[in-house]
Amino acid sequence: MSKKPTAGPALHKVIMVGSGGVGKSALTLQFMYDEFVEDYEPTKADSYRKKVVLDGEEVQIDILDTAGQEDYAAIRDNYFRSGEGFLCVFSITDDESFQATQEFREQILRVKNDESIPFLLVGNKCDLNDKRKVPLSECQLRAQQWAVPYVETSAKTRENVDKVFFDLMREIRSRKTEDSKATSGRAKDRCKKRRLKC
Amino acid sequence: MAPQPVVTGLSPKEGPPGTRVIIRGEFLGTRVQDLIGLKICGSDCLLSAEWKSPNKIIARTGPAKGKGDIIVTTLSGGVGTSTVQFRAYHETIGPLKESAVWIEESPSQNFAWGRRTLAQSGLTQEDPLGLSIEGNEQKIPEDLRDLFPEACGDLSQEHFSPAWFLLENHLATSFEDLKAGLSYLKRKVESQKEGQLSFLKSNAGSVIDQLDTLMNIRDKLQEDVKLHGNETLNILETSIENSISESQKIFTDVLVRKEKADSTRSVLFALSRHKFLFCLPNSVDRRAKAGEYDIVVNDYSRAKNLFGKTEIPIFRKVLEEVDHRILSIRKQLHEKVVKMPQSVEQQKKLIKALISLELQQSGTPIGDKLRNIDPAWDAIEARAKYLEWTFRQTFDQHTSKDSGAQEKAKNRDSSQAPNRVNFCEELCDIAASQLPDLWRLGQLYFTGELRGPHDPKPGDFKRMVLNAIEKFCVYLRLAILIATDQRALRQSSGLAWPIGSASATHQFLPWIPQCLRFTRIAYATLISLDLPSEALDIIQKLIDEVRLFCFSIIFKRATDRCKKLGSQETWELGVEEYPGATLLPAALETLLIETLDEVQSVCMQRETREGNLLEPQSDGQREVTQRLQEFLSAFSAVIEELAFHSHDEETPTHNVSQLLGFPNAQQPDSVAGSGGAAAVTWEQRMLCCLANYAYCNKIFFPRLGDIFVRYGYPLPTLAIETARYTVNQLFTNLLEEYVEHKGDPLVGTIEPSMYLGRFQWDHEMEIGQLRPYAHECCDNLVGVYSEIYSISPALLRPILESIVQTISEELARLMSCVQRFSFTGAIQAHVDIRLLRDSLEGYVNETAKNYFMEALEAINPPLSGEQKRKADEILERVKRNMRLQLLCFSVKDP
Repeated sequence: MSKKPTAGPALHKVIMVGSGGVGKSALTLQFMYDEFVEDYEPTKADSYRKKVVLDGEEVQIDILDTAGQEDYAAIRDNYFRSGEGFLCVFSITDDESFQATQEFREQILRVKNDESIPFLLVGNKCDLNDKRKVPLSECQLRAQQWAVPYVETSAKTRENVDKVFFDLMREIRSRKTEDSKATSGRAKDRCKKRRLKC
Repeated sequence: MAPQPVVTGLSPKEGPPGTRVIIRGEFLGTRVQDLIGLKICGSDCLLSAEWKSPNKIIARTGPAKGKGDIIVTTLSGGVGTSTVQFRAYHETIGPLKESAVWIEESPSQNFAWGRRTLAQSGLTQEDPLGLSIEGNEQKIPEDLRDLFPEACGDLSQEHFSPAWFLLENHLATSFEDLKAGLSYLKRKVESQKEGQLSFLKSNAGSVIDQLDTLMNIRDKLQEDVKLHGNETLNILETSIENSISESQKIFTDVLVRKEKADSTRSVLFALSRHKFLFCLPNSVDRRAKAGEYDIVVNDYSRAKNLFGKTEIPIFRKVLEEVDHRILSIRKQLHEKVVKMPQSVEQQKKLIKALISLELQQSGTPIGDKLRNIDPAWDAIEARAKYLEWTFRQTFDQHTSKDSGAQEKAKNRDSSQAPNRVNFCEELCDIAASQLPDLWRLGQLYFTGELRGPHDPKPGDFKRMVLNAIEKFCVYLRLAILIATDQRALRQSSGLAWPIGSASATHQFLPWIPQCLRFTRIAYATLISLDLPSEALDIIQKLIDEVRLFCFSIIFKRATDRCKKLGSQETWELGVEEYPGATLLPAALETLLIETLDEVQSVCMQRETREGNLLEPQSDGQREVTQRLQEFLSAFSAVIEELAFHSHDEETPTHNVSQLLGFPNAQQPDSVAGSGGAAAVTWEQRMLCCLANYAYCNKIFFPRLGDIFVRYGYPLPTLAIETARYTVNQLFTNLLEEYVEHKGDPLVGTIEPSMYLGRFQWDHEMEIGQLRPYAHECCDNLVGVYSEIYSISPALLRPILESIVQTISEELARLMSCVQRFSFTGAIQAHVDIRLLRDSLEGYVNETAKNYFMEALEAINPPLSGEQKRKADEILERVKRNMRLQLLCFSVKDP
């Protein structure tokens, strides 16, 4: 797809999606800078990029932290378009955010037009287990339906933070190697085929 | 060196200028001061950067556009890199955008360069390919700007990229459709070309005209080439170049002239602007000539203020000129200041102007050329000198006039004031006008109004004033006090009033009070000035002297008048207290009172700040005493003169005894007021004078003392006593004279009368009667008695006593000369002597008594008892017979 020659290490573009206030920025910042931000400040669209070592290989991760609020729903399409993998985050203490993941999933699939796009369902704020509103089983069920992994994280305690990003990058990497094997024409055909399917 | 900063995170990653961006990364500075640079998309944002931690900076984006790195520069790590990029865009506020300000919503506003506005305008635009884009939902996933950094998808833009356009709008359009679109586009272009052709057709005429013209031009050109060759252009070029250079020359010429004109104008402008300064040298001179020094001072100070510190050479030059003029004005002013006479006001004005000019010039090199003088002091000195000079001048003038006019002095009208008086008046006028001026000037000087840069010299000034006043007094002294000894004065001052004739001096004397008045007026003027008392004392001394002189002159005149009093004697007896005294003392009293009045009004009355002339032991008192003494002695002399007035020609009328047969004419018939001095007999005059003397001695002179006391003088005891003594002396002399004249004939008649008819004491005689000589003696005495009594009973005793004494002495002498007394003769003598003795008992003094005793004892042989008895009998009888005659003698105190 990208005809632009990428110099240096491979770049994996990750997009954080999810309702407002579920902890997308918190996760990002925890991953990027090992810091936990207590005060809440709604995000518009943040961009982060750094070098990480993925399974002994140096890669670059580009994280686009998007706005959760509905106000920005209109501009999401553009962002989603450039994403290679998605972390769909909800708060286990907020059922609504869990329900909203459905919409995000649909929007991503519509924009990317690819059911097998690397995607992780992330239940954040697992440190607040006592305030849990979304049962684990329900989460796992949904992940099963979507055929995506489900991971519970805590940006506060940094539980599973690295895991979700690295897992996603691995999926992106495997997708990319898969894609590079096929010819662009075939890929296009496949795209067309898929589009027809859905 | 720390690792270079790396920006790895941006929040948000895009936005319009001014967006608050949280920049995250690593090694973004160790502290605030470490952060020395921050660039977002090439625009410096350090000013707004807020360093939070080595991982975080908050900043606001600048006015950049497009995508760009965030470069953080730190002191420790140097210029950093960025893994993320910020996209800056300029937001265009469209109809659907919330805005805080009112936006005009007309479609013409829709020229836009933002992406979204482009899409909006695209809706209104027809697709150039004539293809519908409806349902063309497929969007290119990549950012087109990344693909075509130099291009744009807008049809109206210059850098329009068809690829962009197609990717953007026709991503999903099939190739067939695109081809169809291309052909549509071609058709459209073709139709526009046909439009050009038809334009040519419709305007064929004018096109042909243009072609013709072009042809003409070409023909003309070719002709010209033939005519002038190919050089035409070169010629043209050179001529153009020439003209260029020529015009350049002309232009520069014009420029030069313009510059000249400009500079001239600016000079003129400067001249007119600083007209004041340039005119100043002349105006200063003019003003100074006109005497308007205030204006000079003002102008000069103004010029000094305005241009004093100027660096402009022309101004400096003018100012120097002004300074020179001012210098000469100062010289002039100084001359004027010391030039006399002039009013104090004028002088003050000049001094003030001079001082202020001097102050303004002091310190400058020009100003210091003229030595710093103290104009006020110079003025004072000049004034003092002038005053002295005026004194001297006046003095010389008058003395020369006086000495020159001496010959003519006799012809002069006596009512005309002598030169001395004129001099006095003039001198006093000068002093009264100029001394106050001097003093006032001095006051002004010392109060600081005219103070120059120097310290005042109060001592000098005081000396000056004192000196002037002393001079004034010396001149006055020379002029007025002619009677005093002026030798010392002449020596000290070297001046002298020419000694005039006695008549001139005499003429001057009455004018002295006038002089005193002048002096006093001047003195009053000076007193009002608050002069130091030392100065006033000098004048006071002079005035006191003059007053005293006045006093003595008046008294001298009074004495002169007194000397003439004798002619006024009327021999009128009108004095109650002392019978026999005439009105002469009263006249004297009147004269004295008149004199005292005059003295009082002229000089004795103390005016302001004058001494008391009558201090005890003072010259004044001595003078008073002396003058009074003179006065009184003159009076005494007058009486004396009166008494002996016609002594020579008129002899006493009764120096012959009645017994010797002379007519008895001496009996004065009612002396008082018989009228005229001629009618007054010698005796009367003598007696009157005697009475006057006695009156003066006893009553009148002490009363004069009272008058003096009444006029505020101390009692002039000494003078009165002296006068009384003199009068007493004169009284005694006169008395002696009178007694001599009266007594001598009386006594002289005794002896002849005794021995009349060859009478001898040793002859027996008939006794029982008084002897005729005794009778005669008694009668004579009674005559004298009545004479005295009728004029002045108080004189009886002294006169009679001395007469009686001579009588007794004569008797004693006669008796002792008798060789022998007969029996009866002894009785007779005894009776005679005793009768005389007893009858004159009241007037017999010790000496007379002794003489009587001697006379009685001289009867030889002494009386026997029978003789005594007989004598007593006879005496008794005689006394009875002579009762009337004897009665008058028995009055003890008439």
